[in-house]
Amino acid sequence: MNTKVKEIMNTKLETIKPEATVYDAIEKLVDKRMRSLIVIPKDEKDVYGVITVRDIVFKVVAQHLDPHKIKVEEIASKPVISIDKETELEHLIKLMEKFNIARVFVHEGKEIVGVVSLLDVMSASLIERARRG
Amino acid sequence: MLNKIISGGKLEKKVIENIKIHLKILCSATECFKNAITTGNKESTFCVADLEREADSIRRQIISTIHEGAFLPFIRPNICRFVEMVDEAFDILEDAAFEFRYLNNEIYKLIENECAKIAKINSEICELLSIAFDSLLTKGDLKEKNLAIRIYEKQVDDLKFDITEKLRKIDIKNFWDGKIITDFVYYLTNLSDLIEDASDYLYIIEVSLK
Repeated sequence: MNTKVKEIMNTKLETIKPEATVYDAIEKLVDKRMRSLIVIPKDEKDVYGVITVRDIVFKVVAQHLDPHKIKVEEIASKPVISIDKETELEHLIKLMEKFNIARVFVHEGKEIVGVVSLLDVMSASLIERARRG
Repeated sequence: MLNKIISGGKLEKKVIENIKIHLKILCSATECFKNAITTGNKESTFCVADLEREADSIRRQIISTIHEGAFLPFIRPNICRFVEMVDEAFDILEDAAFEFRYLNNEIYKLIENECAKIAKINSEICELLSIAFDSLLTKGDLKEKNLAIRIYEKQVDDLKFDITEKLRKIDIKNFWDGKIITDFVYYLTNLSDLIEDASDYLYIIEVSLK
């Protein structure tokens, strides 16, 4: 597969402030039909983080904690794993396998510009197969 | 598969060649529309109407050749229906191109990225339909093409959702601005539905020939 990450990435990204509550994050995830939110850096020295549905279920719901009382920064993963938008899909798949992750963020310079999920990779490979005739 | 049924008859070959041309013209029309949308050149959308006229004449030839006696009678309605579905795709693309010329730029700017992505998918989905038709003739894996078309259609659906979400947030002060943008989005996002239906129909034709 010679496809590059930029060709299949989803540019629909939603962010949340680190000091917001997990409940705010849940609302945003439900309203926007998304599975993860980018956590904005607190200051210039800080880095991007990510909060996923998985984090919320395992670190808050399963622990019987109140999502109103937990802040996003307390359960978010940092730094976010990201790759350059020019990376080839083959490399992306290896990365997903190595870190056992279903979604990788895409950066252009220092900015996060998209996200690629396992489903996107599978769809791209099926389309490429079909296009080969 | 279809080749086996036609047994090399002249009329049948003519129909098949014309369907291939019909599909190639659809690919050219969607490609031309994609270029117009990505460059923002409203004037260049006139190519869609020109190609639609060309395709219309090919469609008439296909239908009249079928009525002259091409193919066994049981398969004729199926082929005619497939050709009509492709023709509907031309019509909807022409409508999208027409509305595009009258869009209010300020409103359109909000959904420009999503529309460009849909235009690109429309171009690729038509190319896949053409490949799918070829595989019907060569006994290729039509099911695989059908699945890829469905994946594309789902992507258009997601983009349509994003567009609707953005448009609902703005105030429309002029009736025509609202009507034109709504119609444009409808036409742009419905082309993939028609292609999906046409692809399903190809699959039905294949199954009915087994």
